[in-house]
Amino acid sequence: MEIIIEEVSRGHKVISRDKFLTDHVSIGRAYHNDIILSDPHICPDHLTLEFDGQHWRVKDLDSINGSFLGEGKKSADGHVVNSGDVIRLGKSQIRILFPHHPVSDSISLSPFENLINATKQPAVLIFNVLLFTLITGWLYFLNSPKDINFTQYVVPAAGITLVFAIWPIGIALVSHLTKHDARIWTQLGVCFVFYNLTWVSDFLETVVKFNSSSQSMLAYLMTLLPISLAFILFWLNTYIGFHVSNRRRTAIAAGLTLLLFGGTYLIQLSKKPDFSVRPQFDSTLLTPSFLVTESSSVDEFIDASNKLFNKVDKAAKEKE
Amino acid sequence: MKKILCILLLFGSTWTYAAEQAEAIFKQLAPSLYQIRIIDKASGEKSSIGSGFQISADGVVATNYHVISSFARHPAKYRIEYIDDQDNKGDLSLLSIDVVNDLALVKRQVETEMPFFEISQAAPVKGEEIYSLGNPHDLGMIVVPGTYNGLKSESFSDRIHFTGSVNSGMSGGPVVNKETKVVGINVATSGNQIGFLVPHEKLLALYQAYQNDELPDIAQQMQSQLTDYQHQLVTELLESPWQLKNLGYGLVPTIDVPFIRCWGESNADKQDAVMLMVLANCSLEENLYIDSNFYTGSLEMEFRYLQAKKLSDIKFYQLFQRQVSRVMPGNKADKEDVTEFKCQHDIVMPQSQGINNKAIFCTRAYKQFDDLYDVLYLAISVDHHQQALISHFTFAGVSKQSAQSFTKQFMESVTWK
Repeated sequence: MEIIIEEVSRGHKVISRDKFLTDHVSIGRAYHNDIILSDPHICPDHLTLEFDGQHWRVKDLDSINGSFLGEGKKSADGHVVNSGDVIRLGKSQIRILFPHHPVSDSISLSPFENLINATKQPAVLIFNVLLFTLITGWLYFLNSPKDINFTQYVVPAAGITLVFAIWPIGIALVSHLTKHDARIWTQLGVCFVFYNLTWVSDFLETVVKFNSSSQSMLAYLMTLLPISLAFILFWLNTYIGFHVSNRRRTAIAAGLTLLLFGGTYLIQLSKKPDFSVRPQFDSTLLTPSFLVTESSSVDEFIDASNKLFNKVDKAAKEKE
Repeated sequence: MKKILCILLLFGSTWTYAAEQAEAIFKQLAPSLYQIRIIDKASGEKSSIGSGFQISADGVVATNYHVISSFARHPAKYRIEYIDDQDNKGDLSLLSIDVVNDLALVKRQVETEMPFFEISQAAPVKGEEIYSLGNPHDLGMIVVPGTYNGLKSESFSDRIHFTGSVNSGMSGGPVVNKETKVVGINVATSGNQIGFLVPHEKLLALYQAYQNDELPDIAQQMQSQLTDYQHQLVTELLESPWQLKNLGYGLVPTIDVPFIRCWGESNADKQDAVMLMVLANCSLEENLYIDSNFYTGSLEMEFRYLQAKKLSDIKFYQLFQRQVSRVMPGNKADKEDVTEFKCQHDIVMPQSQGINNKAIFCTRAYKQFDDLYDVLYLAISVDHHQQALISHFTFAGVSKQSAQSFTKQFMESVTWK
């Protein structure tokens, strides 16, 4: 009778898989066994599986640490095996399957997967990393009040690029350590595509802020853009690096996004003084070329200030 | 040589004459002159000192508001005490105040009628010898002779320009003429030999109001005085001519009143600067003292013209954006006095259509006073690629109505040539 025995890790990853066409399988640490496990908590002759013509039955050979079913404390001795049963012996686990055990539907290689793989193409990857470095350098140049030469902004830009490469490399490392495919180039490729998309979203946000008045909700809505980008990036990082269910992947991505933005928000909140004499306002400026909005009149601006006066009146009453 | 000797002799003789006069004046008036101390109740020690002088037989004493301000603001925490020339001590009660002219009336208990300072009915003539009395640095009562130099013109509230040393601690002391009548009250100094006095008629008005009217409590007096003051100030500012002056290629308003003074600066001499910056600053060079952490009544206007030199448009805008985010209010105020600023912004074009600005307006409300605010306005032109005009003002202690009228006028005035 055919039987498939998998050695699985505690994280339910398959370590080895064997198929037998026999009625008797012995498992233990000694070399004469059919399945040899090196776990020191397993006896040289630990257990056997016997086929009695109808069923496979587990027989523990009076091992020191015993054999148990699944995660529980129920002894596996004498158990009639069903396909998919997990038996714990020592600190190891085996899973027993029969040939008719169902498998999940095959996943077609989606265009999406191709898209992700496209980002690791050397040309695409180099282009994205270079683009990121150039934009970083250019912003550094824009913000420096003095005339600076090329190397003075290329060096910090390269440094920032290296710092940003730590994230994809880190994930690849974690994937590798958890016995997944590291896919380091794919992680790097996807991350730098999204870093560049963040510049685009930053720019859009600036344009909207510059054009909208404090009355407009659009500027607030624009903050959703970087949050969504971060979520998608984290989701893709998990998709590339780990084999987990869609639900779990979404939960991980949502958690990371919350950690990033919630953490940043909390840090800002903790730094905020109890009372500040400095006015907080939006001073976003761009060149006239990016000004697309209609101007308000002075009267409209003064009218709008009524709301502001009401707000501070309320604040003055509250704290009295 | 003879001439010089003559002048020296003449100077010597007037000097001795003045000193003798001063001595006589001091002897005669000393019993009506007090040191006023604000005593912190918890520690029992004095937290500030000043001078005061009796102006009625029944014990009304005049002093500066700023001498007794901590008591006026926190009556539970402090008490007011006087010490006379015989070192007798006693408590004083607060009757009324004038925050705008920095005056206060306090009262001591008297058993019998006492001598007092008479308030002059007429102002001195320019050049007249007058005598300032007071208690500088806690050293004991002194008399300082000096000259009346008329009213200070660059001041919205009337102040006498006195040539003589008014030192700290002399605040609240009287300034008398040769007839020992009060012509002013010591209030401030501006360095060597330049002192400022509150004119006597302000004290007369305050005393008459106290005698004739039922006065509201101190907080309400302060409220109505601050409200009236800002109303008068803003009305005068808005009714005065607003003249447009060149600032680079921009036109900015200056208000043609003597109490607003302007200063200018530029970096035209700096060859390596990445942009040309021309700056004009106009301000009302006085403010109202409420307490040591709270000033109001100040107005500052600032204009900057910027022109890029060998800069791309984007870098030019990016660089001066950093300048405008550092705006601060012009007056000192604490958490107990004001709320935090709330701000609004928009792209605004005035009726003249001469300029298109990103305009920012912020305000904070006073917690103890109704309808008084500090406001702050900042506008940056966004219609030229290589030039920018920044216009800015802060105005402290104005009503909503005043703030809005002033802001409107200001916004409509700034433009390009």
